[in-house]
Amino acid sequence: MAAVDLPIGGHAAESEHGDPNAPYYSAKKGWKSWAYTLDHKRIAWLYLTMISIAFLAGGIFALLLRFELWSRGKTIVDAETYNRFFTLHGGIMVFLFIIPSVPAAFGNFFLPIMIGAKDVAFPRLNMLSFYVYIVGATFALSSIIIGAVDTGWTFYTPYSVTTSNAVISMTFGVFVLGFSSILTGLNFLVTIHTMRAPGMTWKRLPLFIWGMYATGLMQVLATPVLAITLLLLIFERFFGAGIFDPKLGGDPVLFQHFFWFYSHPAVYIMIVPGMAIVSEIISTFTRRQIFGKFAVALSSLGLALLGFLVWGHHMFTAGMSEFSTMLFSALTFFVAIPSGVKIFNWTATMYKGDIKLVTPMLYAMGFIFLFSIGGLTGLFLGMLSVDIHLHDTYFVVAHFHYVMMGGTVMGFLGGLFYWWPKMTGKLYNEAQARISFVLVFIGFNVTFMSQFIMGSRGMPRRYYDYLEQFEPFHKASTIGSWILGAGLFFTGYILLSALFKGKKAPPNPWGSAALEWQTETPVVLANFRKPPIVTRDPYDYHLATEAELFDGFPEDAPKVAAKPSEKTPAKKSTTKKKDEE
Amino acid sequence: MSLEPTFQLPEQMSTSAPHIDNLYYFVYWLSVVLFVGIVGAMCWFAWAYRTRPGHKATPTPHNLVLELAWTIAPVPLLIMLFHWGFQGYMDLSVAPAGAEEVRVRAFQWGWDFEYKTGESDSKLHIPVGRPIKLVMSSNDVLHAFFVPGLRTKRDLVPGMYTSVWFEATKPGQTDLFCAEYCGGKSKDQNGNELDFAQFKGHWAMHSDVTIESEEAYQKYLDGLGGNKPPEERGKSLYEKKQCIGCHTIDGSKGVAPTWKGIWGRQEKLSDGTTITVDENYVRESVLEPNAKIVNGYASPSVMPTFKGTLKDKDIDAIIAFMKTLKDK
Amino acid sequence: MANVTETVEGADAHDAGGEGHDDHDAHPAFLQHHFDTPAQQFDASKLGMWVFIATEILMFGGLFVAYGIFRASDAEVFFAAHKVLDKQMGALNTIVLLFSSLTAALAVRSAQTGKRQMTSIYLVITIACACIFLVVKYFEYTHKLHDGLLPGHCFGHPWFGDKCTEHGSSAVPISVEGLPPRANMFFALYFAMTGLHGLHVVIGMSILIWVLIKNIKGQFSPAYFTHVDLGALYWHLVDLVWIYLFPLLYLVG
Repeated sequence: MAAVDLPIGGHAAESEHGDPNAPYYSAKKGWKSWAYTLDHKRIAWLYLTMISIAFLAGGIFALLLRFELWSRGKTIVDAETYNRFFTLHGGIMVFLFIIPSVPAAFGNFFLPIMIGAKDVAFPRLNMLSFYVYIVGATFALSSIIIGAVDTGWTFYTPYSVTTSNAVISMTFGVFVLGFSSILTGLNFLVTIHTMRAPGMTWKRLPLFIWGMYATGLMQVLATPVLAITLLLLIFERFFGAGIFDPKLGGDPVLFQHFFWFYSHPAVYIMIVPGMAIVSEIISTFTRRQIFGKFAVALSSLGLALLGFLVWGHHMFTAGMSEFSTMLFSALTFFVAIPSGVKIFNWTATMYKGDIKLVTPMLYAMGFIFLFSIGGLTGLFLGMLSVDIHLHDTYFVVAHFHYVMMGGTVMGFLGGLFYWWPKMTGKLYNEAQARISFVLVFIGFNVTFMSQFIMGSRGMPRRYYDYLEQFEPFHKASTIGSWILGAGLFFTGYILLSALFKGKKAPPNPWGSAALEWQTETPVVLANFRKPPIVTRDPYDYHLATEAELFDGFPEDAPKVAAKPSEKTPAKKSTTKKKDEE
Repeated sequence: MSLEPTFQLPEQMSTSAPHIDNLYYFVYWLSVVLFVGIVGAMCWFAWAYRTRPGHKATPTPHNLVLELAWTIAPVPLLIMLFHWGFQGYMDLSVAPAGAEEVRVRAFQWGWDFEYKTGESDSKLHIPVGRPIKLVMSSNDVLHAFFVPGLRTKRDLVPGMYTSVWFEATKPGQTDLFCAEYCGGKSKDQNGNELDFAQFKGHWAMHSDVTIESEEAYQKYLDGLGGNKPPEERGKSLYEKKQCIGCHTIDGSKGVAPTWKGIWGRQEKLSDGTTITVDENYVRESVLEPNAKIVNGYASPSVMPTFKGTLKDKDIDAIIAFMKTLKDK
Repeated sequence: MANVTETVEGADAHDAGGEGHDDHDAHPAFLQHHFDTPAQQFDASKLGMWVFIATEILMFGGLFVAYGIFRASDAEVFFAAHKVLDKQMGALNTIVLLFSSLTAALAVRSAQTGKRQMTSIYLVITIACACIFLVVKYFEYTHKLHDGLLPGHCFGHPWFGDKCTEHGSSAVPISVEGLPPRANMFFALYFAMTGLHGLHVVIGMSILIWVLIKNIKGQFSPAYFTHVDLGALYWHLVDLVWIYLFPLLYLVG
């Protein structure tokens, strides 16, 4: 090493954060080292903990809703409570769980590692975004205590202007959460632009990073519109401003335009990260470069772009002009193209691969299965005349659950199993994990397939009660929700028991060629002992060395014909790559 | 999923239903083919290329032609789907000349259908084989008019008119739903739990549409009370306009003051003053429910305004009906 | 080609075992540990601010769209209502903000050339202009409150009289000085737009004060003046938004 030892700056900062070569979770100790942490990996854990709690809460509301719909009439709760439950289920799942889920947890943990950086560009903003999230969540959930919101998560005016005052705290909470989302997106965009390791060209950028990039763009460009919409709604509540109130010359449909201008991109903020994880998993478990990687990367950006142009398809029956309706319908069909490209390219990647059917791969295949259904049912809804019949029925409910839950949550769970060994340094129980996948997969399909049918037969959404003809479908859906719930609780158990008493994981248990698996486990505070220099694509299995693909413990490494240049197994973790040629 | 053609969709009762159903099933079978293709290929690859000793992955080739093919191939198909959907939508949007208009008003939580005769009802009756155009608006929040059997749906937006038209093809009864969430209440104004039957809300806007022959329809219109004495008209308005939801006529305490013996009664108001229930008070309360609230009831009142819904002669009829409800 | 060893050795400079943190360049005090070079750190900060400015513009964009829609649907009323606004006050504020943008730019220039004193002076002038802007705005607002030129229900009810802010209140918009009650929408947008802009003036001012304190403490040098640069950049955004608000609300109506 160069013999310049300047006793300044960076060095001081380093010791303040802890030993850069110690495991990130023990580099500093005490609760304060977590509460005030600037390390992206610890922030990822803070986020993961909070969003897991949010998922649990949202899930419990979902189970209660399904249980209420078990029988006609009142089953467990009254109508007002039911309306509050579905508002909370939607609000918590969308704003507290899905939107932050993949970017804030996995993005934070792996984005810097995957591009070979020491941290995100703005660690303080990163920490701030977490605390902003907490503040936003507190405001949003305090609405439960001060009167509970019963508007649905869309806060449509004028109902949201006339119902209980708790709407103010909930919308303010969502407004604050929007800032958390903006900060995360901004941080990622800048990190990807400026913090890539030498050799990590745009062409070599992993698809997860491309997904995060597209997501960041949408977070940064769409969320401010939600912010202004909610500010206007609050303005409306406080001063009776009338911008959305027809009695004062306002326009309630304008609220819907504003709301969906954010919330449609938000759908892609949710699904694109899920797709990003699936790309990583499929490459690792087929031991192959993603077929048409560049096209898959472009399709993420394509979705981000199209996401801004199709918001009107939520409003085909809302009273827009025929011309805008036509335009939005036409644009909506183009969403099928980037989505199709992803599905086709993933499937093509599996052709002639070397496929290992472990839990993360099962989730990735589950994603393709469920997202295909979610995407294809989107065709029904894009066709104007058919949408007239299906709009605001359970068909739509089932459609977006197939996309959001069948897509994003499958990707999220797949990501959890895939990266759990790297994040915790522990192995989970594979047999149990497969059982949990089967439960989740079956439970999910039973729950939502029946909703497709009752929806197309005319069951409207957000109904506390239903007609006799829909009873069998509701019963089936409720039974499905129990299976799904059991599967998810079991998943939680598997992951937690791995964390506390799982076997120690080797640095690269899957034998992946991607960069994040090349650093040691547990990950050191500085991510890499030596800053990596990237010389090939993360999915170039045919260029990776055997040492890089070795899936055992470093101690055993010499057995697999290490290169002469590798003097010690520990060196393996410093990520050496070859040139593509 | 069953393959039975009507399993996924309700009975066809309008002229637009066959178009929508055909498109639905076309996309359905298209989706089935694509889905089986993709998932079948995926499962087959997962089996055929499963990892096993001696088996290695082939490095991924580049195949621009294939990639372009599956990027471009869907485009004509998508354009076709868009075109069909749009065509059908335009047919649904433009009512044929000579369609009979029915004025629809929705409120929390009920419907009001005003026929060409000027009479109105909380139920919709339509004749078979003739185009009907609904001109719709909302008195308070968003609602949506949804009749699955007729394959029709449209939001009712306060402050603007929307419309739909349809032509029923067979007589019978079919369901009418509100498809845009519009709130709900399961407690009265004093916070007391109501029985399930008294819950009001979004789902409680469920009603039905009676499709009937021309003769039966005319008979229904005639029977809507144009020639009835005012007391009887008042009674039917009391039931149809949902007064019955809150005001009892048997003296029992409800969400709002009972009408039994209301005429000439002295009421103490929430501001401490006392008034006598007379024509002017009733008229004012119907049009501006918040103006004078009887002490002990929720303020502001939850009663919707009937301005624009009830005409003068309707209010007169209700007053006449009130006068019959003597306290004995 | 296999150049594994070489690349590892090349990166060896980083392997300081937590002791040193020396890259190709020296590691100055202002350089945060996760950046390699000051240039990288500066680029990241600057890009971050630009992205943030993009979000701000989209946020105001929502209001501009709302303004456009309502103006298109009720052009005469908007035209009548805009005459009530005080053009002199608006113009004064425009000049003040434009001037403050100039001094903000000059502050950056002085920081770049290491003239600490001048940087402070320019920053103080910029902050003073922000104060003038807010004072003028205060007079404009109180005048409108006095005349009852208020949003929604409160239109025609001076100082929010008649309990007009209470939800479900019986207050209705009433005419003011020949303006129809429908003019409430213009004032709803006026207050929403200028209010949000005013909030940004306050935020921008706070940022500049913070930068000023850092400058007085001597934390900047020609090699490192990121905060001055970004603070000024944000201030230009505040100025830019006003440049659009002024003609839309005061001149065109």
